[in-house]
Amino acid sequence: MHGEYKMPGGKLVVVDLQVRDDRLADVQVSGDFFLEPDSALVAINRALEGQPWNAGETELAAAIEHGLAHDVMMYGLSAQAIAIAVRRALDGDTA
Amino acid sequence: MMRSEWRDHDWQLIHTLPQSPSLHMALDDVLVHEVGAGHRPPTLRIWEWASSAVVIGRFQSLRNEVDMEAAQRHGIEVVRRISGGGAMFIEPGNTITYSICAPLSLIKGLSFQQAYACMDEWVIEALATLGIKAWYQPLNDITSAGGKIAGAAQAHRGGAVLHHVTMAYDIDAVKMLDVLRIGREKLSDKGTTSAAKRVDPLRSQTGLPREAVIERMIATFRQRHGLADDVLRAGELARAEALARERFSSQAWLADVA
Repeated sequence: MHGEYKMPGGKLVVVDLQVRDDRLADVQVSGDFFLEPDSALVAINRALEGQPWNAGETELAAAIEHGLAHDVMMYGLSAQAIAIAVRRALDGDTA
Repeated sequence: MMRSEWRDHDWQLIHTLPQSPSLHMALDDVLVHEVGAGHRPPTLRIWEWASSAVVIGRFQSLRNEVDMEAAQRHGIEVVRRISGGGAMFIEPGNTITYSICAPLSLIKGLSFQQAYACMDEWVIEALATLGIKAWYQPLNDITSAGGKIAGAAQAHRGGAVLHHVTMAYDIDAVKMLDVLRIGREKLSDKGTTSAAKRVDPLRSQTGLPREAVIERMIATFRQRHGLADDVLRAGELARAEALARERFSSQAWLADVA
């Protein structure tokens, strides 16, 4: 499953994932955003892995925030934007 | 750490023979480390490209961004850089690329948006002297009324910031669109259906050879910030060559975001 979201005033967030046993699996977040340090991408993917398939945007964004160290810096990207891209992937809405 | 000014630093210029795309990726990595560790003064590096390339951002998906079969057909090397941002399509005579490796003190206290604009003020000035009215378009573009001229990306490493920029001198839009996959969502707020239309290259705007534009840029930097001519040290080059071979040419790094 594949979802994309262009954050207003920000960059493109792309999510590719599977659903197994009603949970998110093989989550890959990608895009042309900026993230420091770069290892934070792994933490974001890990935070989304295993989330329930019916989790809402707010819940997904909270899971991402929770999984990130305090010194992570995002530019053109937010936890909310990633959560929207995840929901679009799950809802089959790539428009 | 106190905020520093450009003139507080002893800026060095590296502008050498054409190098391979993977070596360019490695040189950025090595030089930003050297500046961060205090082994090298802040440095402006102007790139010359030995071959065509697609350079994807640190967080971009290889399969979503690049048509590898088309890239191979055109003889284009695909590499992943250490900074975020979007894919760039490079042909040796069509692009002006540079890197600035600076201590983090230069952008201390600035927002990301301010830090990007601050690092390229000298370029806006250089373009103005060539008759191009350009400005910074957040988050990371240099643009003019005609369209986008350049895209920038930054990465922080230790005590230093790497700021590198690719400017479109000329563009083969057909080939670019053959190799890069540019999705609808990406174009959704740009008001155009063609990625090619978004770019307004410097050749048509200045009527000058590429080398003349680069010369003017170097002169402007030298005048504003001070700039001494430097070369890559043997140790820097050796480390970069090893990194280019072992990391930046490897499938593992290229497909790190698959």
